[in-house]
Amino acid sequence: MRFLATLAALAVTAGTLAAQPAPPPKTHLKVGDAAPEVSLRTTAGATFKLSEQRGKTVVLAFFPAAFTGG
Amino acid sequence: MTAYQAGIAKFEEAGAVVVGISTDNLPTLSHWSKEELKLSFPLASDFSKRSVAEAYGVLNKDSGVANRATFVIDADGKIQHIEEGSVAVDPTGAVTACARVKKQ
Repeated sequence: MRFLATLAALAVTAGTLAAQPAPPPKTHLKVGDAAPEVSLRTTAGATFKLSEQRGKTVVLAFFPAAFTGG
Repeated sequence: MTAYQAGIAKFEEAGAVVVGISTDNLPTLSHWSKEELKLSFPLASDFSKRSVAEAYGVLNKDSGVANRATFVIDADGKIQHIEEGSVAVDPTGAVTACARVKKQ
């Protein structure tokens, strides 16, 4: 009986774990790394190229989607 | 992006250029930026290939959208500060990093 109860508990735990969504990605980049190139069209009507910003501090703020908070 | 707009003066004070990036298409970003949020900094669209989100390791492969993350990059193109997840909503850490980078 005790064995069965343990088995049932494990099954419940496994089910809970399986229901978890995939964890959010973690960047492989570290402080001190060269920032990968960015070349994207922007709402300012031009293409933003990170390599053209040398000499300036640049803040890249990734966000999931428009119309979300933050 | 609302919080970044609220803090934009502090970024400018630190001499920093702010760019928001998402995997939305450009018309969607334009509408949201100009009509809803009235942002004074640009939003960049990583819609076509998601290659920038991928290169920065923030692409959520299941949903195809970028995880919330902020990178502060110095004048030499080196990463000086990284924030990931919900803490990246608040620009305070990034502002502090910009001020520190400026002093270097």
